[in-house]
Amino acid sequence: MVFSRLFFIYIFLPLCLLCYAVARGTKAKNTVLIIFSLVFYAWGEPVYIFLMLITAVVNYTAGLLIGKYQGQKGDTAATVSAVVYDLLMLGVFKYSGFIVENINALFSSSIPVPNIRLPIGISFYTFQTISYIIDCHWEKVKPQKSFKNFLLFLTLFPQLVAGPIVRYSTIEKEIEERTITLSDVSYGLNRVALGLGKKVLLANQLSIIADSFLGNIGSSTMLGAWYGVIAYGLQIYFDFSGYSDIAIGLGRVFGFHFDENFKHPFICKDITEFWQRWHISLSTFFRDYVLYIPIFGKRRKYGGLFLVWLCTGIWHGASWNFIIWGLYYGIFIFIEMKIGKKNMKKIPVVIRHIYSKFVIFVGFGIFYFEKLDKLGTFFKTAFGFGKNGFIAVQDKISLMNNMYLVIVAVICCFPIISSIKKVSDKHFVTKATVTSAAAIASALILIVTSVMLVDATTNPFLYFRF
Amino acid sequence: MSENKKNTSSEKDTKKDAEKNTARPEPVISIAASDRENTEIDIPVKSKKLRRERRKKTLNAIALSNIILVGTVLAGGFAYMTMLPHETKADDENRMLTKFPKFTAKTYANGQFTEGIADFFDDTVHNRADIKEFIADNLMPLKGRKYGNGDDGAELYGSGFEKKKALSVTTTSKPEIIVTTETTAVQATTEPATEEPAPAEGELTNNILIVNKRGITLYGGGWGTEYEYASYLNEYKEKLGNVNVYSMVLPTSSSFYLPDNYKDLAHSEKEDFDNINGALQNVMSVDAYSALNAHKDEAIYSRTDHHWQPLGAYYAAQIFALTAGVPFADLSEYETVTLPGYVGTLYMYTQSATLLNNPEDFVYYKPKTPVTVTQYDTRFQNPVVANLLFDPSGMPNSGYYMVFGSDERIVHVNTECKNGRTLVIFKDSYGNALLPMLTSSFENIYLCDIRYFELNAIDFIRDVGATDLLFSMCSFSAVGVNRNSIYNNLIR
Repeated sequence: MVFSRLFFIYIFLPLCLLCYAVARGTKAKNTVLIIFSLVFYAWGEPVYIFLMLITAVVNYTAGLLIGKYQGQKGDTAATVSAVVYDLLMLGVFKYSGFIVENINALFSSSIPVPNIRLPIGISFYTFQTISYIIDCHWEKVKPQKSFKNFLLFLTLFPQLVAGPIVRYSTIEKEIEERTITLSDVSYGLNRVALGLGKKVLLANQLSIIADSFLGNIGSSTMLGAWYGVIAYGLQIYFDFSGYSDIAIGLGRVFGFHFDENFKHPFICKDITEFWQRWHISLSTFFRDYVLYIPIFGKRRKYGGLFLVWLCTGIWHGASWNFIIWGLYYGIFIFIEMKIGKKNMKKIPVVIRHIYSKFVIFVGFGIFYFEKLDKLGTFFKTAFGFGKNGFIAVQDKISLMNNMYLVIVAVICCFPIISSIKKVSDKHFVTKATVTSAAAIASALILIVTSVMLVDATTNPFLYFRF
Repeated sequence: MSENKKNTSSEKDTKKDAEKNTARPEPVISIAASDRENTEIDIPVKSKKLRRERRKKTLNAIALSNIILVGTVLAGGFAYMTMLPHETKADDENRMLTKFPKFTAKTYANGQFTEGIADFFDDTVHNRADIKEFIADNLMPLKGRKYGNGDDGAELYGSGFEKKKALSVTTTSKPEIIVTTETTAVQATTEPATEEPAPAEGELTNNILIVNKRGITLYGGGWGTEYEYASYLNEYKEKLGNVNVYSMVLPTSSSFYLPDNYKDLAHSEKEDFDNINGALQNVMSVDAYSALNAHKDEAIYSRTDHHWQPLGAYYAAQIFALTAGVPFADLSEYETVTLPGYVGTLYMYTQSATLLNNPEDFVYYKPKTPVTVTQYDTRFQNPVVANLLFDPSGMPNSGYYMVFGSDERIVHVNTECKNGRTLVIFKDSYGNALLPMLTSSFENIYLCDIRYFELNAIDFIRDVGATDLLFSMCSFSAVGVNRNSIYNNLIR
């Protein structure tokens, strides 16, 4: 089930909130959350839910063993087995097709390509279990003794299928004891409305532009290619950060405080900063668990760096363009490291902004085109070697037709809400006014989003039937 | 409390965060944090303490109102979606809405049952059509402005080649048809169609331009596939020998109504027609393009639908009759029926307020001479007596399919024109409108849709004793995926 559909917002969620409100005490509330989370997951994955449950049992048991044999051989054995199990599951279910295809291509063999459907959310929950196991091993957290609590950590539906990758340490205490304040709940609900608005009102509309210009790259002009890729980058940002907003907001309604996953990434001044603001839970995961793996000996600083970016690329999808995309970022971060922080700061801010936005949006081009020949066409078109010239009438019409949408989307990339809050929080009257306005705005966004979602099942079928 | 908790995960995190975001607290935390501040900091001055408590109460009251407000929206939505009657049919989309799924072990295991329930609720929202009109009228125009001024203002719709699941548009047949015929063919049309294969790149743009209150399907060009079309027809002619084979590829509104400054948006249909005509061998080409071009100032194409109007079919049929050397009835020998307020498929594709608010007349013509019509399924089985045209009056939606019926059937018309000529028409939905216009020209007419035909075409043509074979489909079909059906029906 996805968040941005009427059935979730108006049937699943109200029922869940009602049961949660009625349940007394943290234990009862946890039971409600686990039941709803399992229903949520089983809604889309009635079979693979067992895979997730097995993963839960394996990692829970490994956690207990790590706790029991702390610092002994059993500890290491349990850690290694659990991590290997997790990576194996991810490998089988996400990458086996890709691996076999490439082996076949490389050795002209004809191993049958396994046709395995990717279980929803496996990339996210596998990383959660890995971080749990390693944190237990490093004694950063105490292994969870109760299977029920462990299951809650893993299956908590707000973050189950699309992140953020919530670490056990983040909600360790709140699983067992949490207080829910009125401001938590109101904040959470507003955040959910905001996230839905980002997804439905901005991302979904931007996707139409992106698809018509990038999807049709063979007939796009140079301007069209840039327009399409900028719309696509904005689409991905509002889609993904909107989803994180909903997750964080729902978490807050239930009394959990998840970490922020996006911090206005497009205001960054260099690529290093971009990744400190974009999908933070993923980049910190790689930083904490992959970067310092001592397999590169003395050269680990750079070896680790490229390993991280290779992993980041592959994590996004089993396809070569994602690998290229990851390494592409690795190269720019490597260059920025070589230049050094101090020297980077000497470069005029305007140039740093232009440089970083250029790299990021070209990156989105790599991200979009899974077929490498299409990616080639994109590069040719975007850099003036396409066959359709610089600008054509379709670019002008689309730009005009979507003018306000694009302007609003660009404005929403800036930290407006936090700036308003920062100013208004200084005085009680402004704070009360802004808080009240936020309530009304949230309700309005929710209503408009819902109205728009009625149209979502309209199938504007894209191929005329004559 | 929460901030501390947040950062226990990694000390490095904390340091870095502190470096990066020095003074800007996340909006998230600020409410909660300030609340806690208020509770924790104890100021001895009584009035200040009182004021603080009052402020805290006010903020809590706002938070509570906020929860009640959003909660009311959620509860209202819950009531709206569960208690109000579900819609069953979307007239503006010409389709039946999603039905509640049937539970079986299989549908449960593959997720179709659970997703089906969610789809059912999402798709059948009460007053769906009105809500969609509201979106088209009030929300979508907020995205931007029309290109150009006033009536000339242009809107462009389209989604490249993204593959999406297509639902059947073509099809909600008039309920009466289902009652009178009960053929499987008509029943089948109400089921959602399977996914349409994506056309090869460069074939069709599938974009729609709305300009001068008219929706225009932008022709993307065949880029070679037009020769395939011609070669398939040549094969028919080779196999059929004595039977006259005609090719009448029909232009779309893309040829006639695109203002000069938008000409670049579409490929020339005429150019592809010329390529086809040059490649045909012993197949007679019928120049519908010129015939229609001569009348482009009349309402020969719908403004709101991707089909032509029956008047366009009249002029095309006229030139075909001339080419085939058969009699042809003047329009005065037909009864004219006008359906006002018609908003066709292009509104459904675009949801454009411009089309919605500028409906048109749908004008069709009933032959005055009696004909005998028999309808078969797509395997030429299960004959039932049918009407040549359906009466759409009293139906909530009117238009092309409502008058001409669906595509998934074979129609046989026996006329009073006793000239011994039997015509088989292989067509797409454009061809439906030709049928009434040829009822004074051939003794027997068999109308078959190229896409749904399930027999060997040559055997069929011989079995019915055809003297003439007409391929009549629009440019998009002739160069697009539908051309493959022409070949498939040959080798079946």
